[in-house]
Amino acid sequence: MKREELIKKWLDNNLNTEEQNAFEQLEDYNDLIKMDATLKGFKAPEFSINQSYEALKPKLKPEQPASKQWIKPLLRIAAVLAIALSVYMYTSNLDTEVNTIIAEQTTIALPDNSTVELNANSSLSFNEKSWSDNREVKLNGEAFFKVAKGQKFDVITEEGIVSVLGTQFNVKQRESYFEVTCYEGLVGVTHNNKTIKLKPGHTFTFIDGKLLANEKENAVQPIWLHGESSFKSVALKHVIAEFENQYSIKIHTDQIDTSRLFTGSFTHNNLDLALKSVTIPLNLSYSISGKSILLKRE
Amino acid sequence: MSKPLQDNICESQLFERLYKKHAKNLHDFLYYKFGDHLNPQDQVQEAFIKLWQNCSKIKPDKAKSYLFTTASNLTLNVLAHKKVVLKHTQQPQKHTTNVTPEFVLQEKEYHIKLQKAISNLTEAQRVAFLMNRVEGKRFKEIAELLDISVKGVEKRIYGALKKLREEIDEL
Repeated sequence: MKREELIKKWLDNNLNTEEQNAFEQLEDYNDLIKMDATLKGFKAPEFSINQSYEALKPKLKPEQPASKQWIKPLLRIAAVLAIALSVYMYTSNLDTEVNTIIAEQTTIALPDNSTVELNANSSLSFNEKSWSDNREVKLNGEAFFKVAKGQKFDVITEEGIVSVLGTQFNVKQRESYFEVTCYEGLVGVTHNNKTIKLKPGHTFTFIDGKLLANEKENAVQPIWLHGESSFKSVALKHVIAEFENQYSIKIHTDQIDTSRLFTGSFTHNNLDLALKSVTIPLNLSYSISGKSILLKRE
Repeated sequence: MSKPLQDNICESQLFERLYKKHAKNLHDFLYYKFGDHLNPQDQVQEAFIKLWQNCSKIKPDKAKSYLFTTASNLTLNVLAHKKVVLKHTQQPQKHTTNVTPEFVLQEKEYHIKLQKAISNLTEAQRVAFLMNRVEGKRFKEIAELLDISVKGVEKRIYGALKKLREEIDEL
């Protein structure tokens, strides 16, 4: 057994010095070496890689260009077309988005002649491509809708979904504030999986997790369209938040109680007057320093 | 191993690398397997031309087995036509004249014995054994070349050696 192992190792050129010595002691060592030396004579004829490759080269040439020449430009055209197509598909399916900054209002015409008045610091997005199948807009902020008659029209906000047929209504969704007012037609408001139908003049108000009593609204249009914000028994912090949407200032309220209720309105185009109309009824005073305003008790 | 990123043998640089890597082994393999008369050089060229024609269909890491299989098949095709010739020339023919003058005769006899014994080996034994003894390849290299296990190579080579010894002692 030992002998066989040694010979195998010798064959594999894998003998260490000790094993080499043992191998040389084998009785048939000389026979093996003799045979090995003679075997070398059976070597395959010399094969020159470089020479034979040079000989092979001319035989290879015609194959490649024939099959490849037309494929490359074709692939380029295909690639350009694919890119153009995908860009078109991407952009045409992209939502149209409209944003307003603080103290800005804008009017948006939707594809079916419905119009949207977007109040300050709000954003609205809709998909023009799928408009005919699906009248659907996403709203963040406040907007007044005049919806053309047609299929269901959905306004999706974080607080709930407002869906209508053809009507005029106002949706306001701000930080923990959700208010829908119907001015014409019939509006369905889905909030927390409950749907409420609003008749003209009715308002759905959901502030700080509480549903407030619906009150009759007599105006034909929301008052903010005429450059004013009005509130009925709304906590002061929501009034302040709206104030900051209409004027680009920072209001500090650390010294006062912001949960007091406020009823009244303020104008959008006169800061001094607006501040007075908020502070005087609540017996507050204010001091302006640059872009920030500090509210204090009288 | 060739980089897997270069997936195309049609790339002439990669093709040249493959040629330089495999051509000699392929040539020796064919020679030890089928002998001289089938012109292993031509078969090597044929196999590489086939590889080039199918370059888009074959992955670089499969190129070696493709070459060896193709060359073997090509050679077998030729063998089918040359059956008669084969009968006359059954073994690799090559002599060295590297012998000491005193033993010219003995050496010559020994040569012929060995030659006969080699031609009596199976193809598989002969290829592995001569790749090892004459080309000096390790078991592992041969195993890779033939796509068999190292144990298998060892068995073939040791078997060949044993058979040669027995036959020479007999004669």
